[in-house]
Amino acid sequence: MKRFHSKLIILGAAAMFMLTIIYSCKKFLDKPLVGALSQDVLASKSGLDGLLIGAYSMLDGYSAGSYTSWEVGTDNWVYGGVGSDDAYKGSNTTDQPNIPSIENHSIDPSNEFMNEKWSSCYNAIQRANDVIREVPLIKDGSVSTDYGNEAIAEARFIRGVMHMELAQMWRNVPYVDETISYSSGNFNVPNPGPIWDKIEADFTAAMGVLPKTQSQIGRANYYAAEAFLAKAYMFDHQYAQALPLLTDLMQNGQTSSGAKYALGPFEDNFDASHRNNAEGVFEVQMTVNDGSGGQNSNQGNILNFAAGPYTSCCGFYQPSYHLGNAYKVDANGLPMLGTTTVTVQDYNADNKTTTAVQATLPNYDVTPLANDHGLTASDPFTPPTDALDPRIDWTLGRRGIPYLDWGLCGGEQWSRGDVVSYNPIKNVFWHNAMAATTDPNAQGWAPNQGTSINFDLIRYPEVILWHAECEVETGNLQAAEDDVNMVRNRMAAHPEYWVHTYVDDNDPSKGFTNTPAANYHIGLYGAAGLHPATGFVVNGASYAREAVHMEEQLELAMEGRRFFNLQRWDGLYGGPEASGYMADVINNYIKADTRISNPVLNAHSFTAGKNELYPVPQNQIDLEAGALKQNPMY
Amino acid sequence: MRKKLTLLKSGFLISAILFSNLLFAQNQLTGTVKDENGKALVGVTIFVRGTKVATATDANGSFNVTVPKNRPVLVVSSVGYEPQEISVNGLTEIAITMKTSVSTLNTVVVTGYGTQKKKDISGSVAIVDVGDAKKIPATSTEQLLQGQAAGVTVLNSGQPGGSSTVFVRGISNFGQTQPLYVVDGVQVGDMSNLNPNDIESISVLKDAGAAAIYGISGGNGVVVITTKKGRAGKATISYDGYVGTQRPLSGNVWHIMSPAQQSEVAFRANDVATEGLYPGGAGIIPTYGYHGAPAAGAFGIAGVTNDDGILQYYKFDANNPGNDFLIQKFATGQGTDWFHSIFKPALEQQHTLSASGGNDKSTYFFSANYVNQQGTMLNTYEKRYAIRMNTTFSVKNHVRFGENAFVTFKDNNGGYNGSQQNEGGSIAYTYREMPIIPVFDVAGNFGGGYDGPTGEPLGNGSNPYAIQARQKNNRAHFVLVQGNVFAEADVLKDFTLHTSLGFNLYNQYWYAFGYNTYENYESHASPNGVDEEEQYSTQYNWTNTITYKHSFGKHNVQVFGGFELKQSGGRQFHASAQNFFSMDPNYVQLQFGTPVNAPLSYIYQPTATESFFGRLDYTYNDRYILGATVRRDGYSIFYPGHQWGTFPSVSLAWRVTQEDFMKNITWLNELKIRGSYGEAGNNLNIGGANAYNAYASGTGSSYYGIDGNSSSITQGFNQSQIGNQKTTWETDKITNIGLDATLFNHLDITAEWYKKAIGGLLFPAGAAATVGGASLPSVNIGDVQNKGLDISITYRDRLSKDFSFRIGTNITTYQSKITYEPSPGYFDFGYSRDLDIVRNQVGHPIGAFYGYKVIGLYQSNTDAAKGATYSGAAAGSFIYQDVNKDGKIDANDRTWIGNPNPKFTYGVNLSANYKNFDLTVVLYGSYGNDDFNYVKYWTCFYSTFQGGKNIDLYNKAAIVQNGVVTNPGATLPAANFNQAFGSSTVSSFYVENGSFLKCRVAQIGYTINPSILDKVGIDKIHVYVQATNLFTITKYSGLDPELIPSISNNGTGNYQSAAFGIDYGAYPTNQKQFIFGANVTF
Repeated sequence: MKRFHSKLIILGAAAMFMLTIIYSCKKFLDKPLVGALSQDVLASKSGLDGLLIGAYSMLDGYSAGSYTSWEVGTDNWVYGGVGSDDAYKGSNTTDQPNIPSIENHSIDPSNEFMNEKWSSCYNAIQRANDVIREVPLIKDGSVSTDYGNEAIAEARFIRGVMHMELAQMWRNVPYVDETISYSSGNFNVPNPGPIWDKIEADFTAAMGVLPKTQSQIGRANYYAAEAFLAKAYMFDHQYAQALPLLTDLMQNGQTSSGAKYALGPFEDNFDASHRNNAEGVFEVQMTVNDGSGGQNSNQGNILNFAAGPYTSCCGFYQPSYHLGNAYKVDANGLPMLGTTTVTVQDYNADNKTTTAVQATLPNYDVTPLANDHGLTASDPFTPPTDALDPRIDWTLGRRGIPYLDWGLCGGEQWSRGDVVSYNPIKNVFWHNAMAATTDPNAQGWAPNQGTSINFDLIRYPEVILWHAECEVETGNLQAAEDDVNMVRNRMAAHPEYWVHTYVDDNDPSKGFTNTPAANYHIGLYGAAGLHPATGFVVNGASYAREAVHMEEQLELAMEGRRFFNLQRWDGLYGGPEASGYMADVINNYIKADTRISNPVLNAHSFTAGKNELYPVPQNQIDLEAGALKQNPMY
Repeated sequence: MRKKLTLLKSGFLISAILFSNLLFAQNQLTGTVKDENGKALVGVTIFVRGTKVATATDANGSFNVTVPKNRPVLVVSSVGYEPQEISVNGLTEIAITMKTSVSTLNTVVVTGYGTQKKKDISGSVAIVDVGDAKKIPATSTEQLLQGQAAGVTVLNSGQPGGSSTVFVRGISNFGQTQPLYVVDGVQVGDMSNLNPNDIESISVLKDAGAAAIYGISGGNGVVVITTKKGRAGKATISYDGYVGTQRPLSGNVWHIMSPAQQSEVAFRANDVATEGLYPGGAGIIPTYGYHGAPAAGAFGIAGVTNDDGILQYYKFDANNPGNDFLIQKFATGQGTDWFHSIFKPALEQQHTLSASGGNDKSTYFFSANYVNQQGTMLNTYEKRYAIRMNTTFSVKNHVRFGENAFVTFKDNNGGYNGSQQNEGGSIAYTYREMPIIPVFDVAGNFGGGYDGPTGEPLGNGSNPYAIQARQKNNRAHFVLVQGNVFAEADVLKDFTLHTSLGFNLYNQYWYAFGYNTYENYESHASPNGVDEEEQYSTQYNWTNTITYKHSFGKHNVQVFGGFELKQSGGRQFHASAQNFFSMDPNYVQLQFGTPVNAPLSYIYQPTATESFFGRLDYTYNDRYILGATVRRDGYSIFYPGHQWGTFPSVSLAWRVTQEDFMKNITWLNELKIRGSYGEAGNNLNIGGANAYNAYASGTGSSYYGIDGNSSSITQGFNQSQIGNQKTTWETDKITNIGLDATLFNHLDITAEWYKKAIGGLLFPAGAAATVGGASLPSVNIGDVQNKGLDISITYRDRLSKDFSFRIGTNITTYQSKITYEPSPGYFDFGYSRDLDIVRNQVGHPIGAFYGYKVIGLYQSNTDAAKGATYSGAAAGSFIYQDVNKDGKIDANDRTWIGNPNPKFTYGVNLSANYKNFDLTVVLYGSYGNDDFNYVKYWTCFYSTFQGGKNIDLYNKAAIVQNGVVTNPGATLPAANFNQAFGSSTVSSFYVENGSFLKCRVAQIGYTINPSILDKVGIDKIHVYVQATNLFTITKYSGLDPELIPSISNNGTGNYQSAAFGIDYGAYPTNQKQFIFGANVTF
């Protein structure tokens, strides 16, 4: 027995000894970080390249798992489109309940869409800043000074683009450069006012370094930076500064692949098979069937497909009747400028009864373009024979008109919601290119609704029309007229760019005839022999201004720009139109359009001095603990 | 198996021979049993230890028994008296006096790393009566805890195998609040898979005095479980089993109106688009709905018709949904009862066979368990096969070793795609799918929102029958191996060394099929597909302790020290493919389809915990008790410098009744007053990369098509995690004051008051978006304080020789209050389609509901214009309280509208024995909790999506004419779709009293007379019939007021406890169940 005890004592001592060993072995708690890389591992050329790609990948606003794609999409269809007179929300009235308040200007700062868009932009900005912060950490000699500088220039370009997005939404936004980070604790950045100077500085710096061509077309070049610098000046109302840049772009500008800027077939800009053409000053690249399950497709537009031909969801972003009306032209093939005050029956909040009100409508709204609102499939409908700008049928789908190669558009039969007749088209893919240009997996519930249709953040006609604006504001009306006509002439001189009837209405795959699908007519300003004369010089600056602005409305409709242009032109923030211009346009649109009952818009209005800007997200105001200020009147 | 038993039996035989002095000799013994007052006791059980020989005293208290010479010990027991073991070697007559049992003071209670006699415990330990608890048939064993221990709150899910939410003394953080489970000394994540029949004891350690010995893991409380061990003596073989049926809730559970009523409401609402569904006018349901392309004859793309001629055009093309032309015949009358299309009565059975026994050198316990619970919901089930083997072996008298091992194989259909408590769950679709839609279309394919007019008048719901039917071939398989091997040695006189290597190995494989959901509007053309996933995880605990026990004079000392290492890790793999030629489950393999994404794998963050701990228990004169513990833990996830923490506790107790001055107070048998203070921690709510700035790469998050090619992308990186090196654990400071008393020999009372202050809550603190898109680190923000009372009272008595009973009640109260959060002092949580439902704000309880307060309905447009206004206010819309009295209703007028935390929860356990009959009733209740009935968002308002609508919308909604409500008694907003804010926004309208009382168990059993059984070699047969959830008393209008946290809390499942008590359509746990069962012992 005694011997046994001593054995146990030895055992115990051994155990204690082992414990001591283990305790000394402090490495037990050192567990590696798994499934991720550290900043040090990325300190090389390939790491830097990767961070820059990561920053580019946020240009579309979307990052898998982080945002709801349609709240952050780079084309701003909600904020620039539905929030303006371009389009209705679409779908059922209550589907996506945060959008109606954006559409009818009753938005409050807690609307989740505000926070998503804001956050997505700053995400992109910090990814760009990560590139800038990484360059000095690279010590392995793999990155030359020039290479590093160019990476920084591309990063500053992306940072500028995203600050530009923020500035046009909210105007008063924090400027976040590479010195701002979580670890330095200085991230509660205030928003005392516009940051145009800082945006301009980023683009100026980028221009100083970026080459005129790039080996990869997705990268920003010198001209892309120059065009964005011009855009910043346009929003800053510095026309004299913008003009020489825009002139240079029109004379020398080229895409990253070296193609000189030029106007080609209008529809090519919205056709995935003709991506990165000579009109793309800077395009956000959308890819499909790339192994990501559709995540890099044009996710922002995933809801924006007519319900008809694809037997699919979701029927959002329906072009407004007012937008359709805008394509009506006069006998000269020119837009119906000017306004008329008329009495309209405006729907009340009960969506049933109406009240007679006075409205100063654009002339094109006085007699609306006929559509199939309220008709069923079996009711006969003949598309109207009004003379129309041919861009209409590449911009919105109307019943009875060829809808790409999907067949004759079913109008209201194809739409999902309660009030709409027109269907979006610029974001829609061609049936015959479905396999190559769409992803069968986007979001699971929306097969083929993720496309590889790029989005042009700046499209060449925009450069030309900004140029026209600058010429108007600096007194050179003839030059402005030439610019506008250059844009119009693309369609005027090329009837082959128009929509044509199908060879066989029942089999669109057989192609198109040479017969225009509707009564298209597009003329040029100032043509000889017209009465009254339509020249800008003859009619003066205000006519010229209206004509330029109208041209931007028509050319760029359904591209998410309208809201921001109206804001930019409003005198409230220094624009050339009267203060309250934007409110007038929107309020008259609501009155004109609510001649049909639209439960979202009925009895709502746009408040001047408030709704030109979106409300700073309440969540961010709370989180910044007093540093961030709300926009006026919210 | 047979061979093994034989071996064990022969081992038993050999040991019996070795121990015997005389073989096979017997003597007759007669005796009497009386109580302390000399009164004869009836029905006292007497059995001869180590034999089957047993008898009971007769009406005179007399008995007669044959005692083998080699088994000369009697075990005498009776309810309410202290059991005795009496050596009767050579006696032929004996008089036995039974002492009234002074409660359960000498019960050995399992506590942290050891056992203590109940009388010596100074901390707060709730003991679960396993016998009562086991009566609740449950596939998730956590359900056993419900209502069984004061201080423990359990929320159950009715889903077969669905996990319960357990918290001890209130919800103590915003994330994972489950207690630590320790099974046979091994720290594991849950107890859901254990076989209830294997459980020997369950103790819940609630205060720091008891739980702080678990340090960083003890903050949420600790549930210590031991499983059965064999005992030296005769082998016992027993069978426990039951079969039964579970009945779904009956009636119109969602209070859904009929299709005809719904059409009338559409016309009232002047909903032009939906009126198109009813061309015959209000109340007239068309015969067919159709949709498809190309158009068929004159019928067009989509619409409704009464013309049977349409049937000839029906076309279903599984391979090309674009060619479909589908037709469904609308349901009339009450319409489709979607709930009962998927809820049917279901069978359930459970069988356990166990064997235990041993000798002085070795013991064993073995059990085999089979569970098959069919869910009442179509194609849900849980099948489980489990084996346990617990053995111990002794080497001489000083060294013991052994193992506890538990192996489970589990099989269910995973519940994937059908997860409940979520507006996308199939239960939610039983109210979201319109009753006009038939289960099947005219050709027997599924009916749905697709077949009808465009413009989606048939809503955006899904056919819940289709969802569940499609789960038929889904499978999930789990293998769990859990247990430990241990060795123990007594050294010198007073020391015991113990080492244990615990393991917890888990493997899961599942596959789930996706089908083309042609019946749905939104995904008519979705491809079929399959997802497969495998994961494994491993966890090891290595525990080494040394215990010193010594008594001298009136001093009793026990000192204990330990060292522990814990390590975990694992991996997961997932792949998917779609577009299969056939969805035959015997055919589908990933490579036969087209891949969707690249396969994914995840490495689980490995974690390591290193710990030193010690404990001192000192008792003086059996009346003054001191307990002190300290633990030092290091945890790998925290950054060096913040990895190590120390958790001390001290507890004191005074057994007042041991004092001389108390000796005369006879009605008070026992009174102990105790108090404790200490700290424990919690480290569950933190991710592996928390301390680091980490970068990652993802095709959808950081790749980009930089080269302009429409289908190629270039790899990119993005910061995925922002690091915080200062983060450390949550600290729970717990104060506990309690008393244990036994009165009148019959009444046990334990009452405790506690305060639990939890500091440094781990939560990803919000930071302005200017920091970028990387995940924010969890940091120590926020403090929460819970205060409450735990009370348990047990009364037991024997009224006659035939009748004895016991009543146990326990009550748990807690008040939760958030005491600190950084600016802005709150965060919002809890998904709704409008606003978040929950605001967690300083000064308010965790999970409080926050929204507008409804104070009435505007009776006219004039009133609406006069009152505090909001956009859309009109006759027949809600009047909201203008909280800040600024004349308008906006976000600033939101206020506190409900509290999901109950004021108290309670359990009542009744048991009674009359002759051979026994009765058990278990009641469980919750009082004072609010439920947020989010179902009403879908069913009570016209402005929300089309779907099943509540009959109240037909009967009780305001009807507005010319700007005036014409039915002034209306309680619901007018049926129109322009009033989203004035109706469906988050408001007090949804908040209901969630109090309930459930009769969880009512059981009647009968024990067959042993004398009859003796002949067939059976010791005991107990048979019973039982009803579960016989009644639920509640005012709640949903299915069941008992709600597990939802899985759709903004998608961040890790932060469940920040929002709970919200009903999106939970699987009800109050379904009635009737079972027949038997316990047989051989």
